[in-house]
Amino acid sequence: MPASETRPLLSIAGLSASYDTPRGPASALARIDLDLDKGENLGLIGESGCGKSTLLKTVMGVMPGNARIDAGSIAFRGRDLVSASAEQRRAVRWAGISMVTQSALNALNPVLRVGDQIAEAILAHRQISRAGAWRRTEALLTMVGVAPERARDYPHQFSGGMRQRAIIAMALALEPPLVLADEPTTALDVVVQDQIFRSLRGLQAQLGFSLLLVTHDLALVIENCERVAVMYAGEIVETGPTREVIRRPAHPYTLGLKNALPRLGSRDEPIAIPGGPPDLVEPPRGCRFAARCPFALPLCRSEPPPLTTVEPGRQARCHRATEIDALAPLAALPQTWDALREGPR
Amino acid sequence: MAGYLLRRFWHMVLTLFAMATLMFFLFRLLPGDPTATVISPSLYPKAQEAMRQQFGLDRPLFEQYLIYLRNLCVLDFGISFQTNRPVFEMIQGRLLNTILLILPSMLAAYLLGAGIGAIAAWKRGSAAEVSLVFTATALQSAPLFWLGMLAILLFSIKLDLFPIGHIVTPGMFPEQDWRMYLSADFLHHLALPFLVNTLYQLCFPLLLMRSTMLSTIGEDYIELARMKGLSERRVLFGHAARNALLPLATTLPMILGWAVAGSVVIETVFSWPGLGLLMIDAISRADYPVAQAAFLLIAVLTVFGTFIADLLYGLLDPRIVYA
Repeated sequence: MPASETRPLLSIAGLSASYDTPRGPASALARIDLDLDKGENLGLIGESGCGKSTLLKTVMGVMPGNARIDAGSIAFRGRDLVSASAEQRRAVRWAGISMVTQSALNALNPVLRVGDQIAEAILAHRQISRAGAWRRTEALLTMVGVAPERARDYPHQFSGGMRQRAIIAMALALEPPLVLADEPTTALDVVVQDQIFRSLRGLQAQLGFSLLLVTHDLALVIENCERVAVMYAGEIVETGPTREVIRRPAHPYTLGLKNALPRLGSRDEPIAIPGGPPDLVEPPRGCRFAARCPFALPLCRSEPPPLTTVEPGRQARCHRATEIDALAPLAALPQTWDALREGPR
Repeated sequence: MAGYLLRRFWHMVLTLFAMATLMFFLFRLLPGDPTATVISPSLYPKAQEAMRQQFGLDRPLFEQYLIYLRNLCVLDFGISFQTNRPVFEMIQGRLLNTILLILPSMLAAYLLGAGIGAIAAWKRGSAAEVSLVFTATALQSAPLFWLGMLAILLFSIKLDLFPIGHIVTPGMFPEQDWRMYLSADFLHHLALPFLVNTLYQLCFPLLLMRSTMLSTIGEDYIELARMKGLSERRVLFGHAARNALLPLATTLPMILGWAVAGSVVIETVFSWPGLGLLMIDAISRADYPVAQAAFLLIAVLTVFGTFIADLLYGLLDPRIVYA
């Protein structure tokens, strides 16, 4: 099948979604374009509330009742999920795309055995006996480094790290080609976080799934993902190979993110981006980042910037993307951002 | 677990002992001389004295109390002032009548209430759900006796579908033997009080289940269950409802208390010869031995129900450990 070799595993095109709020619809996702190839790791990064989780929920098809898709398509293996029937969507969930959720105790049902919660995912998609599903569950737990007899335990008997491992076992239960991970280790300490990611990479080498990692931790993306997409206020503002994007950001927001990272061995204070994200009920007419951008031109406030290709495989949604090499040194200076903080908007 | 059961049993005994004591002294604090109905003041003083001795009423109060406790231990509740029959004998049949009406009714109310409440939460915002919540709230706020009277008026008098009151058609079972409980006539009599009581008691579990389901539906594990590609039914009953049952189990002891209190009302309205009706009759006729025993039995039912509810809670929530 040469066709399936060339087309991406997951292809999101022109996706817009909004939440109904008392003041009107809030544009949570705007014109999202994102491709993910087979076996590829893509990091999706952005601050809280930028729409990362909404994007994952939209892909999984579990948007809350007040949310709706306004435009665009989500093609998984070439088939559009947005227009698919409920039954077709249900079949793709978990068997095609699974998800590793945050490790809070909340992700596992407190009154059901951990093993049953994994086994029920298998039973929902495969013609298999209960005993068979249970054996598979025990094998999965062993695979992620949890003793198989713990399958009979309840979530409260698991430590935070074990719960996260159980959720990974659950996500891999049907060996899906795509795994989404929503801040999978936010609630864990750094040592456990490291262990989890090491075993996740080991499992990936073994099973060959693609990973879409959503996080606000830039370091995790650098360690685990070859490509990164930066999100801001419901838009993807920059995509490209992780190394390139970090080394030479092509969007002022990414420059700001990089500044906010404390660097080891540097005496420079991290610089925060002043201000807060825009109101999504009445999003800015022009660039959504313009109000916080030290390099904004009048054009930026009136005209939404298109996604421009900076280099092959690298895109940025900025009117000044081509001049970014000249702006980058300025962005490293605290006073560039300070001016924005003090001056009128 | 064995230690827990033992301790719990000991607590139950203590509670019942306190109830029995309270009841003994409360009844003796009531105004009026209850013995007047049995020991007529028109008798010769000597005869009165003899009868007092016979009932043990000439002894000091504390001694009477000890005798009362000793008799309780061997299920001797004394002799009814009214009928001169042993109280135990009178209560036996009445207790069964109450249990036959209240227990199935409460079970039905809880199962149906939880089920309907769960579905109502799932269909939140629909016209059916809104009207259901309104109806349940209205029903719950209505007095039970009034609902019972309305039901009799509509179904028994106007539509003539059900008999008015009693447990079987009078005269059909003159022997009052166990065969009457197996007859269609009994079920026919049972139907209306059962329906009214169930409908009334169903409102509370329904509304509670609905509101706890609504807070459960927002939990992360429900979203995860959906993402796993489980059917909506499995997400609803296997995950959401399973968790929402916990507060319902917590309120069960309280509801049992209400159910017993409700039985007094429903038995009075439907002339159902149960414990509640016996109690009302006994009080109005100052038949204290009977009233005392009826109160005590109701306390036993409530205490025992609470115990069952506690055990049930442990079954529902694995985080509860009995130690």
